[in-house]
Parts: sequence; C-alpha cells; structure tokens
Amino acid sequence: MPKPIRPTPPALPRRRFLQSSGAVVAGAAGLAALAGPGTAFGQAFPSRNLEIVIPTGVGGGADRDARAFTQVWGRHLDTNFEFGYYPGAAGQVGYEFYMNREPDAHSVLFANLGPEVIMLELQDTGIEIGRDIVYIQQTLSEPMAVWVGPNSPFRSIEHLVEEARRRPVTVSVSRLPHPASIGMLALGEELGVEFVLVPYGGGNPSAMAAITLEVDCCALPITNTIVLDDQARVLGVFADGNPTPAETDDAPTINAALGTAIPPLSSSRAWGIHRAAYDAYPERVQILKDSMAATLADPEYPDVVTGTGVPTAFIDAGDEAVAMATAESMRTLARRFRTLLSGS
Amino acid sequence: MELNPATLLELFWHSLSMWWLIIPAVMIGILMGAIPGFAAHNTIIMLLPLTLVFDVDLALTFMVALYCASHLGGGIPAILLNIPGTGGAAATTLDGYPMSRAGLAAKALALSFVASVVGGLITAGITLFLLPFLSQVGFHIRSVEMVVIMLFGLALIAAIAAQDMLKGLIAGAFGLMLGAMGADHIYATPRGTFGILELFDGVPLVPALIGLFAISEALVMLERRTIAKTNAAQVTPTWPQSLRNIFHAFKHGWTIAWSSVLGLVIGVLPGAGASIAAFVAYQQARIFSKTPEKFGTGHEPAIVAPEAANNGVTTGTLVPLLAIGIPGGSTAAVMMVVLQYHGVPFGPRLFITEPLLAYGVIMSMFVAYLFMLVTMFPMARYLSRITVVATYYMAPLIVAFTLVGAFVPRGFMTDIAIAVAFGVIGYVARKTGYHVAAILIGVILGPLIERSFLLTMRIHGNDLMALFSSPIGNVLWGLLALTLILPPILHRRAHRRGKAEADDVY
Repeated sequence: MPKPIRPTPPALPRRRFLQSSGAVVAGAAGLAALAGPGTAFGQAFPSRNLEIVIPTGVGGGADRDARAFTQVWGRHLDTNFEFGYYPGAAGQVGYEFYMNREPDAHSVLFANLGPEVIMLELQDTGIEIGRDIVYIQQTLSEPMAVWVGPNSPFRSIEHLVEEARRRPVTVSVSRLPHPASIGMLALGEELGVEFVLVPYGGGNPSAMAAITLEVDCCALPITNTIVLDDQARVLGVFADGNPTPAETDDAPTINAALGTAIPPLSSSRAWGIHRAAYDAYPERVQILKDSMAATLADPEYPDVVTGTGVPTAFIDAGDEAVAMATAESMRTLARRFRTLLSGS
Repeated sequence: MELNPATLLELFWHSLSMWWLIIPAVMIGILMGAIPGFAAHNTIIMLLPLTLVFDVDLALTFMVALYCASHLGGGIPAILLNIPGTGGAAATTLDGYPMSRAGLAAKALALSFVASVVGGLITAGITLFLLPFLSQVGFHIRSVEMVVIMLFGLALIAAIAAQDMLKGLIAGAFGLMLGAMGADHIYATPRGTFGILELFDGVPLVPALIGLFAISEALVMLERRTIAKTNAAQVTPTWPQSLRNIFHAFKHGWTIAWSSVLGLVIGVLPGAGASIAAFVAYQQARIFSKTPEKFGTGHEPAIVAPEAANNGVTTGTLVPLLAIGIPGGSTAAVMMVVLQYHGVPFGPRLFITEPLLAYGVIMSMFVAYLFMLVTMFPMARYLSRITVVATYYMAPLIVAFTLVGAFVPRGFMTDIAIAVAFGVIGYVARKTGYHVAAILIGVILGPLIERSFLLTMRIHGNDLMALFSSPIGNVLWGLLALTLILPPILHRRAHRRGKAEADDVY
C-alpha cells in the first residue's frame, strides 16, 4: 500500500473554521454578489456577511494576512466573511470600489498602509484619508528590505553600492508608489548613486526578476524574503534594527552598514472603513474595533500568523490613532519623493 | 526523494486512489471550462472554502484535476459554437468552427480531446522528471525574449490578414488600440479609460472575449436554422466512427508533442499563459505546414496545435511555484493560498519536507488526464449534436450563460455592458468581413508586449538596441524573421513551379 501523504495540520480545526470564517461563501465574490446579501444571525450588527475588500490580487501578501486574521476574527465577530479582490492602478481600483460600497460598516477595507497611502497621495483619486476613509485597526508591520537571489554576485549592501558607483543598478519593485521604492530612491540620493526602479506590478513577479537575475536586486517588504527562504539573500533592512535576524541572513540595517540617515520604512496592514459609516454608525464601528482588538489579543492569532510563514515579530497591534499616524508618516514621505515616484 | 520506478508507482497508485475526487473535479472542470468566464481560476476561487477544509493533498489534487480539465473544456464551445471557453481556446475557433459548420464537429472534437489529453500527459511526464531543468527556463527567457515571443503570437494577425490584408491589419491594430487602454505599467497613469473605473486595469479579457465571440456569434447564428448544414443523424457518429475519429487524431502525434512542449516552456515563463501559447503554437504549425493555405478553413493540425499547447501550459504554470516558490499564474496563486493555509512550505522546501506532495501534484495531473481519456469517447460522440440544435434555442442560451460568465471574474456589472459593447463590435466586424480573432489577439497580446517592452527599456536605460542584446533573443528574432519572410517566398516559388508544370503540359 502506498504511504499516505501526511499534511501539516491546519492552524484551526476544520469545523471551527467553517463556523468562523464563512467557509461557504468566502472567496466566492461573484456568486455571492449574484445571490444577494447573506443571511443574518439575528443580531443588530453585523446583520449580514462582512465584505472584505482587498485592493490587490488573490494569493498576494494582503490576501494571506487578511485570511489569517479572519480565521481568528470569526470567533469574536459572529458573521461570515466575503473576500473581494480589486487589483489595478497601484491599488486605486480597490479603493474606488470600496468607496462605492454601501457605507454601513458591513464593508471593510484591508489596507496596506505603505503603498496605498502613497498611491492616494500621488494619484488624483479624489479619495482623502481621514475625510473619506478611516483606518481603525493596525495589525501587522514589516520593514522594507533589499535582497538578491541565490545566484547573485552581490554578497553585501556595500558590494551593491560599490557597483552602483560604476553603473546604474536595477531594482525590481512591486510598484513605484511603494515604501521600498522610496527607500532605494532615498539611498541613491544620499550616496549620489543611481538605482533604476523597475516596477513589475506585484511582489511575486518582482521577486522572480531578482531570482532569475533580470535585475540586480529587489526591494520589497521583508516577509517576501522570509517566505522565499533560501531563494533570497537579504542585504539590508530599512529599519532601526533587524526584527528577524535569524530569518534574514542576519542582514544589517541600511543606515548601520552605509552610515546613511534614512527614516525607517515599513508597510503596515490595517483595517479601513468609510468615514461616512464611521460617523453614522459609531456603535457598529466600536463592535468592529473591539472584535479586532480581541482577535489581536487572542493567543491563537500568533500561531495562525506563524503558519502562513510570517514571523510573529511583525504583529504590530495599533488602534485607530496608531494606524492613522502610520498613514500620515507615509503621506509625508510620498510628498518628499513625489517627483521621482510619479515621473512628473 | 529519488524518482525511481518504485516511487513513481507509489505516486501513481496514490493519485489513482483519489479517483473519487478526480472524476468530479474533471467533470466540473470540463463544464466550467466550456462556459466562458468561469474557467479554472474563477471556479477554484469559488470552491476555495471547500478546498481549504480538505487535507492539503486532496485539495491540490482536486484543484489540478479541475484546472487541467478546464483547458480541455475550453475547446468544446470553440469548436461547436465559435465561442472559446477560455482565452487559450481562442485560436481553436479559427479551424474548429469551420469543421463544425461542415458537419465534422465530432471529428474536430476528437482532435481537440486527443491533443489536450496527449499534450497534457506528455508535459506532465516531462515535468515530473525535468522539473529542476524547467525551472531554469526563467533564467534565460526574460523581458527581452518575451517581447519576441509575444511578437510570434502577434504574427498570427498577419496570417489572418493574409485572406484580406487591409481588413486583417485594421482589425489587429484596432485590437492593439483597445489593449492599450488602462493604467500605464510604470506610473499607473490611466489612459483611454474615459473615467470608467472598470477599465483602469485595462480591457477585461473575459468580457471582451465573450462579446467578440459569443454575443456576436449568437446574433449571426440567428440568421440560419442550425450551425451545421446537416441533420442530427449525419453529425452524430456511431461508436466505431467515434473510435476511428479518436485513433485518426493520433496521426498528428508530432504536432501534438511539439506544440505541448512549446506550451510547457511558455507556461513556465512568468506573465505568459495559455492564450499566448495557443497563438504561438497555431502560428508555428502553420509555418511548418506543407499546406499553410488550408489554415483557417477547418484544417486538422490547426486544431491540435493550440489545444496541445494550452494543455501544455497547465503543468508549466506550476513549475515556478514548485521549484522556486513563486506562482506562475493566477491558478497557481490560489494553490499557494491553500498551501499557506495548511502551513505547508512551498518552493524547493516542499520537495524536502513533503516530497510525496510535491511530486504527487504533478502525478495527479497525469492521472487526471488519464481519466479524461475515458470521458472523451462519449463526449466526442454526443456533443456534436449541439450543432444541429435550432439556433433560436441556442442563441438566447448562449447570451444568458455568457453574460453571467462576463460578470463572474470580477463581479462588476459594468463587465456585462463591456461584453455587450464588444458583442456589437464583433457583430459589425463579422458582417463587414473583419476577423474578430485578429481583434482579440491585439487585446490580449498588446498589453503584454507593452509590459515586456517597457520593462526592457527601463532595465536597459531606454536603449532600443537592448532588444538585440541577448543571444537567445537574437536567435528568436532570426526565427521570427524567417517565419515572416519564408512563407511568401516558398508560396511564390511553389506557385511558379506549378505554373511552369502547367505550361509544360500544354
């Protein structure tokens, strides 16, 4: 008899997952939308399924983190979750679609505060943070990293910069409006070298370009390198300290290695909600906030996060004030590098 | 884990033991693949909650079986109704539908099924043994080479234009213009979107495909009583005839093998996909054919080449996920979600920690194709009867099903309107002699060529000579030039020779 394949046990028992995460409908955005709103649980809020709008594609980092969160969130908020993916125009499509949703707190946005806030600042979307969208709960934060593939000739960040003094060095990035892009531009500006940013339109193709040596290096949130394991060698981190040295080749911080003074650059996940819903339904927003906070405090949440390959060091629970402050710091950075990032 | 005969047998039996899962997955895949808009990616997303609660090996087996079968299913409406179920089957319409109209639907279906199944089996087998080598393809085929590969596909417009050069080129250029709509690749600045948010990410492929092919075909269809000009008895073969049709298809073994390998290689490349593979395979089959003038009229190799190629892509797209840890396509991305959910590492670590699972995925594909081998006999016999169903029943059904299909991938009501708009464009194009396939090629390949071209320019400091800087790229350029120049020269020479022989006779 063939030996059966033994899978790693799921992070949550299946029955509980079915109960908690709306397994029957989650992900089936098209059919769900055709079928109309989901059923109520006989309570005031949520009276129907909670729609989660993700401004990037299925299978990306946001999808991974949102699903991990909802695995536990379902125990603290008695509802089902429907995922909808709206990638395009550096996140603008997702935000625009979110704004068109009914502002009754049954629809939330899972935001990436780094690239998306920069996008809102640089592109003429008409959507303003604070006025139109409020980030009510921060969940994770991770610094940006510069890294190369296993076959790259570059062994250290110094080596890469040395090369950049001789010729422009190419850097694959997810998109131009991104903290990692800002980090490379700031580094080039401080050292007087040229880094050519090549936007591949997503973390996966950017990583592929670095691994296959189409570009010299890659700049992405550090989790991408951890998930890739030995396919990525981290050269430097845009932070005050490396939060996960064991998983990232004990890479130094950029400032420590090169004597620069680049501000810490990170990307934070946060839940956002319409300002209109925030103002009209404060009690509903409070229920969301409380259940989100309970999720982050749940001892099972770190296990679920670890299961997706993300180190628990990146769990960065922060309330509305923290999330909005993170967004504001990104806006400041975007304004500083507007010309280089927008090509205007 | 070493791949010796004992291990292979163990993997094979293990995959076979999941027949109870593979058979329904194959059925769902064929059905969904045959409905434009549903396809593998969207169906797998819809069924994600179900697959998440399966054990990981069951979940992956279910998904790969469904994925492979959807590629086979995509060819069915392409042949019977001139409506490709997936983008990868668009090239199949060019010759599949003319065969159906001539009452040869059963034969065309047999060709499509054999090409799909044999192509899938060949590429799954190759992938099983050569996975580490296949993963190296990405190291040699980059943006520069991708530009040339896309141009191979684009050259098909010229082939289509051969029947009416001006109209063919106008249709291709129109398609390229439509493909240029949406946010630009570098700065994400919207272009030609008329402020319509649903177009920011470019013209959506599925509504465009549904409009150009399905809606317009439904309108054209109403002008005649049935698709085939024959009666039910004539289009429905007997069992021995069905068997003969299946065996006859194996005569195209070389085209099937070569096209499926081409599809496998293109599938491995990031950003490429079944549509490109099918267009390139069709074009290559035409170039190397002794009778290129028959392409587009219901020629058998023109059906097997794209069908073998788009099934070759299925295993190819899994290679980057398995070998490197990066999904090569949207379906592979959904599989990654399942692996992540179960806490299973992917990429090279998968072969270390879960070798049976890693190789088992590919073996499951192999076994799924074996099961499809069985299903194709009844399908090849009975499905052809669709071509004699009265069009006043078929047309409304097509419109209803496909408009739902236009809505499904993104869930935007606007996509239904886009499909209708493309339907009008397609209808006008058909009635005025413009080829809708040429428009679709432009819509599909335009943005992909632009992306690869812009990346190349960005990496090489806007130096156009960079397009000729890679040895592999230069070889591809040479081949492209040959494929464009040689056919007319050979055709002219053959024409002269024929004329000279005719003169000798007199």
